[in-house]
Amino acid sequence: MALVPVGLHHFLVLGTLLFCIGMYGALSRSNAVGILLSLELMLNGVNVIMVAFAKFIDTPQELAGQVFAIFIITVAAAEAAVGLAIVIGVYRLRNTIQVDQIDLLKG
Amino acid sequence: MTPGDVFTAIAFYLVGATTLVAGIGMVLVRNMVRSALLLVLALGGVALMYVLLSADFLAVVQLLLYIGAIMILMLFAIMLTPGQVDLPSSAPQAQRITSALTALAVGVISLFVVLSHPWRIRAAPLDIVTSERLGSLLMSTYVLPFEIASLLLTIGMIGAIVIARED
Repeated sequence: MALVPVGLHHFLVLGTLLFCIGMYGALSRSNAVGILLSLELMLNGVNVIMVAFAKFIDTPQELAGQVFAIFIITVAAAEAAVGLAIVIGVYRLRNTIQVDQIDLLKG
Repeated sequence: MTPGDVFTAIAFYLVGATTLVAGIGMVLVRNMVRSALLLVLALGGVALMYVLLSADFLAVVQLLLYIGAIMILMLFAIMLTPGQVDLPSSAPQAQRITSALTALAVGVISLFVVLSHPWRIRAAPLDIVTSERLGSLLMSTYVLPFEIASLLLTIGMIGAIVIARED
């Protein structure tokens, strides 16, 4: 993997790193909104990889990666809307969105 | 190696470094508003990556949808939960170490696979105007997922209203 010219591997490494940073955030945050923010970063890492595949990989189905990325963005939008509605509902009920204090179902 | 390659490489490394630093800052910063604004920076970097990957339509969609819509929604949620913006402690030490180890393990394994797999790279990288092609693909080959996505968005919208409504 040479530094120049930028090829498939560079974008794959970038996407993987973004995914892992987001994963650390999603696992270590205690604020529910923070977890949702980290999830967006993970989805974006995957999207970078998808679009890189669309550009560089030799497939019979051209642009399939970009179509996948569009669907990922759609699902992310729906997930953000419902997730934030749940967060606000929980805040109204418990007055906190700290995930380790939302333990109604804990035995 | 052409001058264009060098220019692309410079742009890639600058934007990539900004995106990664913004991402790391986003998961480490305590204040949620700062975290959200750093995520905006990271998402903008990803939009520029789409430009470098000659995905013109997706770059615009990224700007409009992620930075324009989803991040505004996130900021609204942060503002609507007062007292939660600056939580006293982010997480117990043990949980943070375990998360870091998990993320590191996933990262090392993924990087190993990504770098060692023999990808079938095409002779000339895809470099076309994508909007028109994407539109016709969504209306022909991918019409079923397209319809399911619209259904999902409708359900998500109704669900968000029902859950967040004050009764």
